[in-house]
Amino acid sequence: MAGSRLSSLASRMDKLYEFDREPVLAEKLQSGGRFAGLFAGEHVAATEFVIGAFFVLHGVTAKDLILGLLIGNLLAVLCWTFVCAPIAARTRLTLYWYLRKIAGPGLALIYNLANAILYCILAGAMIAVSATAVGLAFRIKTPSLNDVLPSSLGWVVLTLAIGSLFLILAILGFEKLSRFAEVCSPWVFVVFIAGAAAMLPRLGVHPSLDNFWGIAIAKIWNGLAVAGQDKFGFWHIVFFAWFCNLAMHVGLSDMALFRYARRWTYGLYSAFGMYPGHMLAWICSGIMVAAVGREMNPGLMAFEAAGLAGAAGVLIAGWTTANPTLYRAGLALQTITPNWPRWKVTLAAGLATTVLSCFPVFFMRLLDYVAIYGLVLMPVGAIVFAEHWLFPLFKLEQYRAEKRGWLLNWRALAVWAGTLVVCLLLPLHLFFRWLPGYFIALVSYTLLSAIGRK
Amino acid sequence: MRKILLGLLSLLSLVVCLLSAVGYFLGKLQASEYKLVFLVASLGWFVFATLWAKHRKT
Repeated sequence: MAGSRLSSLASRMDKLYEFDREPVLAEKLQSGGRFAGLFAGEHVAATEFVIGAFFVLHGVTAKDLILGLLIGNLLAVLCWTFVCAPIAARTRLTLYWYLRKIAGPGLALIYNLANAILYCILAGAMIAVSATAVGLAFRIKTPSLNDVLPSSLGWVVLTLAIGSLFLILAILGFEKLSRFAEVCSPWVFVVFIAGAAAMLPRLGVHPSLDNFWGIAIAKIWNGLAVAGQDKFGFWHIVFFAWFCNLAMHVGLSDMALFRYARRWTYGLYSAFGMYPGHMLAWICSGIMVAAVGREMNPGLMAFEAAGLAGAAGVLIAGWTTANPTLYRAGLALQTITPNWPRWKVTLAAGLATTVLSCFPVFFMRLLDYVAIYGLVLMPVGAIVFAEHWLFPLFKLEQYRAEKRGWLLNWRALAVWAGTLVVCLLLPLHLFFRWLPGYFIALVSYTLLSAIGRK
Repeated sequence: MRKILLGLLSLLSLVVCLLSAVGYFLGKLQASEYKLVFLVASLGWFVFATLWAKHRKT
């Protein structure tokens, strides 16, 4: 009974993704410049206002931050280049269809549902970031760092109102709005740079910049964590920058992009997103939070730094991140809602997201959430990597799920679940758990499949 | 021709946004002047870049 239900859900999922079932044709391949633009636009988002600021609150030193971001972002670029892009360029398939061949439609469905839930939480956090900007106009207090539940009725009303607004916009016209979102990203990047520059005098930096480094180590990244926050060091920064997009590179969901790449080396174009977005923008938001007395309030930070345009920047950045995230969550959820039109599914995903946005824990613990997001989806990337590269090496049969018509590859499911349990038990900081977890998944899936063959 | 002009005006708006912040940092502009210039240039960016994007699509 459960099997036939899963089978019916999986076939509905297949229909949704039918349009990209076939490998990309040679004439549809895109130039490198297109990839540079895509990455540059995607990685300057509302999250950047929060992440860079949190590094300051976690007491990172300036030297650890700069070295950590240089190395961590380099590792992320290398993962796109050597892990994700080569598989995408060889198969020309999305992760959904490749995973389906490897682990069966049932597991592809479970993966999509997990993704949908994670997307909803992320979009909820973005709504909360936007709410900090609008809240300024109504004098609504932003929750404090350790708040889990909504701190005031005003905050609940505000997040519900903004969430509903984003939801209505998403339902009314995703395509037109997503085109408008493309226009926003260069400007949002300028808000970061201009905001940071304008906050430097408040911190005491001279126009000649001769005392910039002294101010940076004494007043911005001074190595002192605020009360209740863990102290972060060099390795925390390296790992955070590395895993910030773990689901996309090591988790392989960016196969959807790189299947259009002429060569696997196009993975290097991800540097156009990492260094401006995940280095420069994080440094800028760190400067801004230091200048407002280390208060985690992105709206206030941007308003103080660039006035009304700055507050609008936070609102727009939140919306441009939440909008496609809502769309993707809706697409993934469409499988379990038979015969529902797209607007109804987006409404359901959006309502869940809006309710989640009231809870400050997702926004105030964003760094941990980003780590969990990547960790949950990482084993799937390891399973696909093992099947693609290691199976031919050890002469193991590939794509057995597809060849034998399995609904679900139980080995893949066991490795996914088992890896997460091991990661949960590992006596390491949350940021460092994914790396041993990845190798555990890689080895255990290969071994289980080898045993299964005998 | 119109496409090129819109592209140039869009980029100019972004440059003005940045220059206003630099002007404030260097002490050439007051805080209120900087924020006003930044706001107006931002509006300019949204108008010109939206029209530019429309032209590029067509």
